[in-house]
Amino acid sequence: MLALDRVSKTYPNGVAALARFSAEIRQGEIIAIIGGSGCGKSTLLRAIAGLDRASSGTVTLDNETISSPHAKIGIIFQEPRLLPWLSVADNIGFGLADLPAVERREKVARALDRVGLAEKAQAWPRELSGGQAQRVAIARALVPQPEVLLLDEPFSALDAFTRRDLQDHLLDLWADMRPTLILVTHDVDEAVVLADRVLVMRPRPGRLFDQIEINLGRPRDRNSPLFENFKRSVLTSLDRSLDRNVPDRDATQGPGQAMWW
Amino acid sequence: MISDARVLQQSSDAAESAAAPSRLSRYARPMLGVLLPLTLALGWELVVWLGWSNGRLVPPPSRIFTTITDLARSGELVRHITATLWRVSLGFAFGVVAGTLLGAISGYWSLARRLLDPTVQALRAIPSLAWVPLFILWLGIFETSKIALIAVGVFFPVYLGVMGAILSVDRKIVEVGRTFRLSGFAMIRRILLPAVLPAYVVSLRVGLGLGWMFVVAAELIGASEGLGYLLLDGQQLGKPAQILAAIVIFAILGKLTDWLIELAAAPFLRWQDAFGQAKGA
Repeated sequence: MLALDRVSKTYPNGVAALARFSAEIRQGEIIAIIGGSGCGKSTLLRAIAGLDRASSGTVTLDNETISSPHAKIGIIFQEPRLLPWLSVADNIGFGLADLPAVERREKVARALDRVGLAEKAQAWPRELSGGQAQRVAIARALVPQPEVLLLDEPFSALDAFTRRDLQDHLLDLWADMRPTLILVTHDVDEAVVLADRVLVMRPRPGRLFDQIEINLGRPRDRNSPLFENFKRSVLTSLDRSLDRNVPDRDATQGPGQAMWW
Repeated sequence: MISDARVLQQSSDAAESAAAPSRLSRYARPMLGVLLPLTLALGWELVVWLGWSNGRLVPPPSRIFTTITDLARSGELVRHITATLWRVSLGFAFGVVAGTLLGAISGYWSLARRLLDPTVQALRAIPSLAWVPLFILWLGIFETSKIALIAVGVFFPVYLGVMGAILSVDRKIVEVGRTFRLSGFAMIRRILLPAVLPAYVVSLRVGLGLGWMFVVAAELIGASEGLGYLLLDGQQLGKPAQILAAIVIFAILGKLTDWLIELAAAPFLRWQDAFGQAKGA
């Protein structure tokens, strides 16, 4: 279990990016964090990853306090961040340097197969498309079998079609190993497709505003009325988090109001 | 060049009749650059051969070539080339080692940069030839002062190149290293070194170019052998053919050593060439 206990972050210039954020996340749960710009989503993710230290409060994974990057926590960024001087296969095996070569090669080959890029094993990262590169980044993060995988707007730079593809793909991969997924996103659709629970954050200072459980079976039909309902309630909550006026009528009328952050 | 050819290919598809001349220009085009010097050389050769000029101050190519073969036959050429190459190699080696070490320290460690960099930059502002009298006083007029001068010339571009390359390593890539918990040394070996390598190779090549420049200066000052000595000797004894012979050999050696660095670095920079290869394919 991943426990966030009153995690706060104040930057040296006095900006309170995150204030007393608490949450408990079960092993294998999929969490989407959504909120207006400047609500501290990415700050929170970086604190969980151990990349930036929280000013106060603690992040604990299975009773172990996280203050620096941890073997059980992987992260995927908005950009693939592949190392341009390594082949696709070597990029995927980057986190397995401690393993014997044979075992590493085996794991990398399996991961390449799993993300459907086996024929690109020896390609250079610059020869990949954006979607392919992000697949490699996902494989690189998953190969060491982390318990928690953090995703910081991982698909926001991709076109709508590729994005959908990768969302489904991510769920496939998740079903194999069931890591905890914590996904920061701007995209309400993405949050509802993927998450068991959507955490809505409120800006200045960043804090938890609302939680919405998405009680939908998988695979989820993006066009079902139930799906639309959940989307609408997330959108309503988002509007409230930004102190926007939400007349009840409008809130329950059609998806015309869909907001893309 | 190959991409040019492809463009030409397309245009030839469009206009069938134009195909023959454009295919011709595909081979003719690189020759265009050689045309001017070749014409001048042959023209001058002809002028001297016809006796319109005696070619004493501007010797024709054949005389330069004869000078080179004469020098080679007497064994002089090898002696001079060896002396010069030896000086450049040693000076280059010292300059590269010092430049790499100090550049890496200032790039990696900001306190060292604040301590060291202003001094280095101030020294860099001094025209390096201004050191010559001092080096001769300190180190004598023989090999040591020459090698020191060459090393100074090589040092600055390498120092700047290494420091700049380390400072401009993408923070996002370093973060990838951090998420995989790379320790200081592993971070240097697996992230920083490969990331700075392209810029490092460039700075080595710039440094080598300066090394060749400074070896001439060093050998003009006072040497009894070396290609620079050939230059000076040619001036003093009024042998322009010998000066031009030395210049030609400098050009060949400079290009050759630069090509050696390029060749040695190529296997490590294949990932960078992908763009050029994709264009050519």
